[in-house]
Amino acid sequence: MSTKQIIYLALIAVILVGLALFPFMTQDDSTFNLVILVFLYMTLASSWNILGGYTGQTNLGHAAFFGAGSLATRLLWVGGFPAVPSILAGGVIAVALALAIGIPAFKLKGVYFAIGTLALALILNITIGNVFPEMSYNPAISDYQIVPRYYLFLGLTVITIAAAYFLVNSRWGLGMMAVREGEEAAESLGISALRHKLLALAASAFFAGLAGSAFAYYHVSYYLNMPFGPEWTFDPMMMAYIGGTGTVIGPIIGSIFFVGLKQLLVWNVGEYHLIIFGVLFILIVLFLPGGLVEAWKKYQRWFTRWYQRRNTSPRNVIGTGHLP
Amino acid sequence: MLSIDTIAVFYKELQAIWDVSLDVNDGEIVALVGPNGAGKTTILRVISGLIQPSAGKISFQGQNISHVPPHKIVELGLSQVPESGKIFTGMSVLENLELGAYVARARKDRSASLARVFEIFPRLAERRNQLAGTLSGGERQMLAIGRALMSEPRLLMLDEPSFGLAPILVEHMFETIRKINQQGLTILLVEQNVQASLELAHRAYLLENGRIVGEGKGKELLSFESVRSAYLA
Repeated sequence: MSTKQIIYLALIAVILVGLALFPFMTQDDSTFNLVILVFLYMTLASSWNILGGYTGQTNLGHAAFFGAGSLATRLLWVGGFPAVPSILAGGVIAVALALAIGIPAFKLKGVYFAIGTLALALILNITIGNVFPEMSYNPAISDYQIVPRYYLFLGLTVITIAAAYFLVNSRWGLGMMAVREGEEAAESLGISALRHKLLALAASAFFAGLAGSAFAYYHVSYYLNMPFGPEWTFDPMMMAYIGGTGTVIGPIIGSIFFVGLKQLLVWNVGEYHLIIFGVLFILIVLFLPGGLVEAWKKYQRWFTRWYQRRNTSPRNVIGTGHLP
Repeated sequence: MLSIDTIAVFYKELQAIWDVSLDVNDGEIVALVGPNGAGKTTILRVISGLIQPSAGKISFQGQNISHVPPHKIVELGLSQVPESGKIFTGMSVLENLELGAYVARARKDRSASLARVFEIFPRLAERRNQLAGTLSGGERQMLAIGRALMSEPRLLMLDEPSFGLAPILVEHMFETIRKINQQGLTILLVEQNVQASLELAHRAYLLENGRIVGEGKGKELLSFESVRSAYLA
């Protein structure tokens, strides 16, 4: 193991321990809610990234999987089912839904998948709103505790990011990236594009579904169609782009940046923050397609060059006798 | 080894290939030459399963592969180097080569295959950790061929390996193809560079407007008056 890897692992360990001890440092509910929101977004953005970033398939209906997970869990749990199996059922339902739309859409080439997922989320949003028009209340409302929910989200986020990391660094992950880079070239190497897209979709939907389940377990009261809303697709997507698609760290950074900036803007400019985010998204797609991760790499390269130039410029060499 | 029997190919309603038959025997280099738009690439795409023939039959080592999906065809030992390489520019040289050995059959020997590819193209070994997008045109072509060799093909199909290369590199590329063939690999070569490919090939087919208009020993075809006047004058 290289020194760099040891440093990274130590850093991750410190962060995880810090997050695990977090509930002992604060009792403030709004702080918990904010951190839980960041975790939720990290899970959604990272899971979107498996398919959208690594496999190159634009999913415009991630909310459908998030919503399906939350709906299944909430109904089961309200119906008296224990919490843990209800939550797992949410992930499974989301995968089933994903395959139902993915198998026909991926058999066609082109934009069908993007359109299909967009339509799926819209249809479900409206249908669920009509079927369940009443507000849903948390069954645990009389004895509601935030700390176990915090740990649920922390665990889910860690598992999602770890799964994404191991998946994209596996042979399957390599195949997924090959499909993104060129479907036909991948096929001509013996990589089945369909199979890789479906695997990426299933993994992506599974974690989005679990995020929905955790949401259903966490949220006190909401309309059941709310998690199917388009913001649950487009906000995480924007976070993945802001951070850097096709990288594991990108959606993590993007979520923190997004929630932080949003808080700041909501306090200062209110509703206008939507316009600012729209402009920011366009600017990033146009000028920084690799997101903040790319910006950081560019800065590192620039800094290295600047540093080398400074130390090798003639004046410096003569002045200090310092050679590179 | 490979036998194409009177195939016809359509792009939607537009017919691109009429009654084309050709054979590639074990150990040969066969060239398929012709002008732009003759249908050379289409024929390679049909063989690799990327498009389907509407009539006729393609068989590889006795097995009918006319309607077998592309990834299964690679598994059978038939690999294609697509036009202008189509390497994965966002991935490293090594990752590109590893993807070449993706099919189960090639996977177990991949370290031996990698050593062999690095022996044929030492340049790739030097640049193994570089992003493939940073390679020069000649190196990209090497990488594309190396990637195809990683799948341990029995028949290698090359689409315009000389495309976009400087003349000195073309010569070098053709020399490499001859060397790979001498190590026992059968080759089907599609080229616009008629002179060089007819000199290299054991046999050749001449394709024009989607039809085979001539065939023969490579060097014989080179002396045909029609070929000379059409391509070399």
